[in-house]
Amino acid sequence: MENQQNPLEPSPVAQLDLKARLLLAALLLLIAAAAAFVLYARGAFERTQTLVLVADNAEGVVVGMDLSFAGFPIGRVNRIELSDEGNARIIVYVPLKDARWLRQSSVFTMESGLVGAPRIRAYSGILTDPPLPDGAVRKVLSGDLAAEIPRLVSGLRDVLTNVTAMTADDAPLNEALRNVQATTDKLKGPRGALGALLGDDKDAAKLITALDRANTLLARLDGLVLKTDGLVAKADTQVFGEQGLLRDGQASLRQLNALLAEARMSLKKVDAVLIDAQGIASNTRSATADLGTLRAEVESSLRKVEQLVNEVNRRWPFARDTEIKLP
Amino acid sequence: MASGNPPSAPASPARALRLWLAGWWTLLMFGARLLVLLGSKSSWRHSQRRLMLHLFYLATQPMLLSFCLGSAIIALVIIRIVLATALSYGLSRYALDVLVRTLVLELIPLSAALFAALRYTLPAAEGLRVSRLQGLHKAQLARGLDPMRDQVLPQALAGILSSWTLTLLSAALTLLLTYLSVYGFSTWGLDGFVRGVGQVFGPVIVLIFLLKTLLLSLAVAIIPMLPAPREGRPGADIGRLARLLSVILLIELLSLLGNYY
Repeated sequence: MENQQNPLEPSPVAQLDLKARLLLAALLLLIAAAAAFVLYARGAFERTQTLVLVADNAEGVVVGMDLSFAGFPIGRVNRIELSDEGNARIIVYVPLKDARWLRQSSVFTMESGLVGAPRIRAYSGILTDPPLPDGAVRKVLSGDLAAEIPRLVSGLRDVLTNVTAMTADDAPLNEALRNVQATTDKLKGPRGALGALLGDDKDAAKLITALDRANTLLARLDGLVLKTDGLVAKADTQVFGEQGLLRDGQASLRQLNALLAEARMSLKKVDAVLIDAQGIASNTRSATADLGTLRAEVESSLRKVEQLVNEVNRRWPFARDTEIKLP
Repeated sequence: MASGNPPSAPASPARALRLWLAGWWTLLMFGARLLVLLGSKSSWRHSQRRLMLHLFYLATQPMLLSFCLGSAIIALVIIRIVLATALSYGLSRYALDVLVRTLVLELIPLSAALFAALRYTLPAAEGLRVSRLQGLHKAQLARGLDPMRDQVLPQALAGILSSWTLTLLSAALTLLLTYLSVYGFSTWGLDGFVRGVGQVFGPVIVLIFLLKTLLLSLAVAIIPMLPAPREGRPGADIGRLARLLSVILLIELLSLLGNYY
């Protein structure tokens, strides 16, 4: 039984036993390597920290999706759950070696394109901020391009309606353009810009007549100015000439200066008089002080006299009232 | 095993259905017997282990080079087509995902199983049938030996293992070719590539891939060995092949349903 030859076994192979063992070992190695590769590719051997992203809607988010920073994947979605508040909680595992890109001021966005799954991105503006702690919970800012399209189409429709209204035959814009056309026709006419501005040819003619009159007036004014020039020359001679008013004025000023000097002298004298008067006044003030003392003394003497009279009266009642008054 | 020859006259629909169901039942029983024998201690005695090892080598080694070469050429063509198409539509970031799913998850297990069937299990099953028709199995049974344990089981096991080997080797080769086609001969894209492949191989996808590879290898190893009721008559081989293809189709359909629904 042990040495039974298989009828299907082909011709013997050299070192068959060894080769067969090697092939089996290779198969086992291949299986182990495949398992290890899948585990490694899924990030099973990475030390990670957890980041919880809270989104209003997690539609399109799948487990295994990347969290990218500057175009590089730095984490992957591990779990998606519904919170008690009705929000989607996206649990992201970030390898510790990549966690340094996430800071406390980092912003997280979820953008949905027209094609494919949404993308979760992280933006860290200030890399000097403290690092994001393990288990941090952050709100995700959502941007949905597909949701924007109906709004965009609606806006575009409004714009087109407005453009249609603007370009209609009776639209104000068309009226304005027709008016511009009429104005340019008038500008090209014989009256030119005046005709366009005034609108009426008669008014334009009036304006031209007014201009002619203004020209005549200006010519007259010119002659008047010439006459005024002669008048001014005469006045110059009379004022600034040899016998002019200016010289007389200068002499008068000199006399006035002398008068002022005299007046100053007089004032100085008055000042001395006033100083004397001040001395007299001070003497008077001291005399007034002496008078006060004198008055006090007189008052004291009078009180003494009064006391004496009172005493005399007490001892000798010259004018005692003897009448008894009954109540 | 089912025995007895059907009548040569055309069968009624009810009888055809009964025969059809009986065929599937026979297949299930045959597979169950092989599994029981696989767990039996006598199947793993030293001489049997050595026979299994030798058959595994003899089944796999002749196919390795030709299959790897053929699958590499086909994979390269598909990779180029997918990359060029993705690039022209501006969807190159999805190319890796598409390639891994199309080639590694779907085409390679299927082609490896079919290749193992064509190159090894079908010819081996034919040999078994010849020896059965020659009465060698009855002689073995008369000597107290079990041809199922001593001949069918080692060959089925060799077919299963060769199918696994081809699948894994070809998948590794295809991943390598994909990397080289996408990133060229440099290592700068290794992190992104590994991450991309890891994203495809989620737990459910891996489970379905393993189940599909196992079931396909079982199908190509067991179904050809099944003794047909009309053994030796015209149409028996075609019927066996049709059953094999229908089982493979069913497994493929189930895996697609699991992966994408």
